[in-house]
Amino acid sequence: MATCSSSSFISPSSFNNDPTQLPKTLQKGLLLPIRRSNIPLLHIHSNSHLRKQFQSKCSNGYPLNAVHFQDEAEAKETTISITVVGASGDLAKKKIFPALFALFYEDCLPKHFTVFGYARSKLTDEELRNMISRTLTCRIDKRENCSDKMVQFLQRCFYHSGQYGSEENFLELDRKLKEKEAGRLPNRLFYLSIPPNIFVDAVRCASCCASSATGWTRVIVEKPFGRDSESSGELTRCLKQYLTEDQIFRIDHYLGKELVENLSVLRFSNLVFEPLWSRQYIRNVQLIFSEDFGVEGRGGYFDSYGIIRDIMQNHLLQILALFAMETPVSLDAEDIRNEKVKVLRSMRTLQLDDVVVGQYKGHTKGSKTYPSYTDDPTIPNHSLTATFAAAALFIDNARWDGVPFLMKAGKALHNRRAEIRVQFRHVPGNLYKGKFGMDMDEATNELVIRVQPDEAIYLTINNKIPGLGMRLDRSNLNLLYKARYPREIPDAYERLLLDAMAGERRLFIRSDELDAAWALFTPLLKELEEKKIAPELYPYGSRGPVGEHYLAAKYNIRWGDLTSDDS
Amino acid sequence: MALSFPNYSSSSPSNLPSPSSFKHHQRTTPSSILSSQNSFRHRFLKWVSIQSAKNQNLNAVCMQEALPSNETLKKLKDRSLPFAPPEECGNVVGFSTGKEECTVSITVVGASGDLAKKKIFPALFALYYEDCLPKHFTIFGYARSKMTDAELRNMVSKTLTCRIDKRENCSEKMNQFLKRCFYHSGQYDSEEHFVELDQKLKEHEAGRITNRLFYLSIPPNIFIDVVKCAGLSASSSNGWTRVIIEKPFGRDSESSAALTRGLKQYLEEDQIFRIDHYLGKELVENISVLRFSNLLFEPLWSRQYIRNMQFIFSEDFGTEGRGGYFDSYGIIRDIMQNHLLQILALFAMETPVSLDAEDIRNEKVKVLRSMRPLQLENVVIGQYRSHTKNGVTYAGYVDDKMVPKDSLTPTFAAAALFIDNARWDGVPFLMKAGKALHTRRAEIRVQFRHVPGSLYKKSFGKDLDQATNELVIRVQPDEAIYLKINNKVPGLGMRLDRSDLYLHYAARYSKEIPDAYERLLLDAIQGERRLFIRSDELDAAWKLFTPLLKELEEKKITPELYPFGSRGPVRAHYLAEKYNVQWGDLSTEHVHG
Repeated sequence: MATCSSSSFISPSSFNNDPTQLPKTLQKGLLLPIRRSNIPLLHIHSNSHLRKQFQSKCSNGYPLNAVHFQDEAEAKETTISITVVGASGDLAKKKIFPALFALFYEDCLPKHFTVFGYARSKLTDEELRNMISRTLTCRIDKRENCSDKMVQFLQRCFYHSGQYGSEENFLELDRKLKEKEAGRLPNRLFYLSIPPNIFVDAVRCASCCASSATGWTRVIVEKPFGRDSESSGELTRCLKQYLTEDQIFRIDHYLGKELVENLSVLRFSNLVFEPLWSRQYIRNVQLIFSEDFGVEGRGGYFDSYGIIRDIMQNHLLQILALFAMETPVSLDAEDIRNEKVKVLRSMRTLQLDDVVVGQYKGHTKGSKTYPSYTDDPTIPNHSLTATFAAAALFIDNARWDGVPFLMKAGKALHNRRAEIRVQFRHVPGNLYKGKFGMDMDEATNELVIRVQPDEAIYLTINNKIPGLGMRLDRSNLNLLYKARYPREIPDAYERLLLDAMAGERRLFIRSDELDAAWALFTPLLKELEEKKIAPELYPYGSRGPVGEHYLAAKYNIRWGDLTSDDS
Repeated sequence: MALSFPNYSSSSPSNLPSPSSFKHHQRTTPSSILSSQNSFRHRFLKWVSIQSAKNQNLNAVCMQEALPSNETLKKLKDRSLPFAPPEECGNVVGFSTGKEECTVSITVVGASGDLAKKKIFPALFALYYEDCLPKHFTIFGYARSKMTDAELRNMVSKTLTCRIDKRENCSEKMNQFLKRCFYHSGQYDSEEHFVELDQKLKEHEAGRITNRLFYLSIPPNIFIDVVKCAGLSASSSNGWTRVIIEKPFGRDSESSAALTRGLKQYLEEDQIFRIDHYLGKELVENISVLRFSNLLFEPLWSRQYIRNMQFIFSEDFGTEGRGGYFDSYGIIRDIMQNHLLQILALFAMETPVSLDAEDIRNEKVKVLRSMRPLQLENVVIGQYRSHTKNGVTYAGYVDDKMVPKDSLTPTFAAAALFIDNARWDGVPFLMKAGKALHTRRAEIRVQFRHVPGSLYKKSFGKDLDQATNELVIRVQPDEAIYLKINNKVPGLGMRLDRSDLYLHYAARYSKEIPDAYERLLLDAIQGERRLFIRSDELDAAWKLFTPLLKELEEKKITPELYPFGSRGPVRAHYLAEKYNVQWGDLSTEHVHG
């Protein structure tokens, strides 16, 4: 509660109003920010063609929530002010500003909007613009007017220098925002691109001094959301002192990836998959993430978290939940998140026996030497932090009882890849078993969803090799995105920023989801730390520790990413 | 015989020559246990045929001396290794298993005909090229025209080609092949001439164990004559004798049964190899592999998930001055009753006990017998008329000089068929076949039902059936398998569209796909009967179509005219609509290159 205590001098409810508690007539005049509930307002007719355009082009297909105040907005234009807190950081430069520009380019932002950078460094607006402009790019397939558009975008970007814990500085920001908003109906979005230890400070200040008086105020936060159940619970409690649940947008950028989004479409809009989606037909599911580089001198943050917290507990587990959840009542955010929570809560807590941890060591190939994890200057020499982990998870419900869900994530491996592999059971009483050799499980069908790089979906089937013999082999029914969809696939951050502005919460993590996710991993993480389990070393650029194979073998599985069947 | 084929009784009228003259001749072998016991031998043959199913290293006939024990078999397998090219056919026919060499003599009866020139000789050469023929073999052309061996070779050589991907030694191989080709001129009904052929064959066989294959590439009215002569005078005395016949197998239940009866006076059921060359096509062969070796499909393979199936055949040319044969048969007999129905049976049959020919054919017969005979109201027929496009005039069907001016023969037909069994009750199986249409194509389309309670129904507009999954198997041209799935269009919106999970054979498999005739000839030589039509299958197939064909003829139903090069009669759509189906080949789908 240490971080939270600083808030005692402001009203905890200042950011947290419920308009239903106030007579409507009062709302207008109040300076207090008014939270609009997330009830979709789209069914109320609006004349705003702007809004319509906004919706049809970029709405994600679902009703947009509360971008405008319907009752009073008929006459008034709305605007969005986006404040990137931590504007000089890497994420802001590499992802957030470029994503905002892409949205602007695609006409997905409202007609009027303001982008503010907020950070401690002293910068002028011009300097910020200069900094940003270096990372903006246009879509490869849409180059017209690119520089024009960039100039227009940069004109909407401003900078305000201030401390993250200073209410005064945020008040100044508020005044500047008001100036730009110029009497329009303001909605405000804060993107916290800052270290987690100052999350709550920034939220407190923004809440008390810079939230929207008449529109919505939302806050996007990035991982890490704590490092175990307790710290995560505490972070949530602190955030909730200033924010209601539906103002908090916890980003997991993997959920914004095209093929992760497509997972539900595949499952629920195709008849051919759902009948197969259970323990009866699926032998195991593999979620694989690999990077081909190490911490590269920036291991400070990583070392205190490790790969399990950094990748598994969030990205991979989220994908698993989407994959394994029951059919939701609708595509509404709450319905989907309810199902995700359910499946997470049906899962067995991770056991140490079902986990393999590894850490990369130095490796010399040719004339080049790759440093080990502990060689990194930012890493303590005796660090036991896992840079690789493999785990077997189980969902104890009727659909998935006994089906292993294997996860694997690692740094400094031989390739960069994120994919989902669904291995089906063998054909019972297979007529062709004579053609398959000893192991029937070698020749089963497999559905592979390659999230990155080079997005693709393919289904491995057994097929007759053309010719006079009767030899079978595995071929792929292929969908290569590059070939089928020539348009560039938007970055995950574009989608997520757009959704946050539209109030679409489907791809953000709800507090109870986060709790459930931590509940699965916390005991294991504690045990690893308490027992000081030494990670198995593997050479930089290798396929990872051998232990992963023993783990897979324990459940009679083979990792699918090691076969050479990829196309 | 009764042991292997309990369903068949080979009736043999006494006024005819000995029915056994053409039937299996026993070889006197040192291990006489086998040779004297007919039933045991058949059991053995059957047992061997299991082993010799595709890709397994053994062939029945030259191993009669071997004891049918697994041990021996294994030894034989091992011994055969040096002979057997592992690549393609595995079991080279008639490789020497020890004491005596085997040979195959293939007689193409009707050697000067079109099919022989275009398909049979080239297929035999391809098999030779791929080392799929036994070390020693002889090919005889038999026809009425006077020709020397050299003239035959000259004629044959014009149509031989090597695989595109294997050009080395091509001309050398051709010469070697042609040296094994001979010609004998004779009448089709002259026993004397077949005796002469027998003498010549013996000369070439030179004391080896002889197996003889007759390919009847002749008009159906002389089938029986030839079979009789060959049977009496030119069948093998110590190996097997088999006869391949081509459609038409009659024109209705009665004539087909009469033909079968006639054949069976001289042949046993397992000597008759009725070819349906569609069954030799790569993707048709692959149907069973797809269904039975993939977990993905079988759970979906029933009325619960499949809304309809479509079997589509189209040619982009007409009869082109050769309408004489066609006019007396029509598209229904020419394509539907055999090719499309055979494919349907493979698609819809229950899982067979094994991949054995008899097990598969048993299942095919079952599914055919579960089908409802075609009803006139479930059939649309059409006939193409002339059409002028860009100054070029394409002739109508009745403009063909060989076709009577008032012909009512359909050159197009569409039909809805139903299988009244537990798996398929209520699922329409649509067939469509036509000449002179806008494309050349043969494909199978499996349309699935819509997702019950689809979460994404809003994204699909009014008709959920427009956005269902579809499995397409394109048999020709440009072989491919693809599964249409609904997918999110990448981007910030949530639009769905149909994409294909696609397997393009040309991209995946670099080897040239062998012609259907190669496969079928090889199977006939190996005694693999899986892809040939058994008599009871043929009966069942005719039973479905005969009442309809009679009704069409009796009522003189006029076909709907459609322009040459068009998409066929419009009424095909009304037929589909009646069962709430859309023809899948007309949608403007994503085309793969």
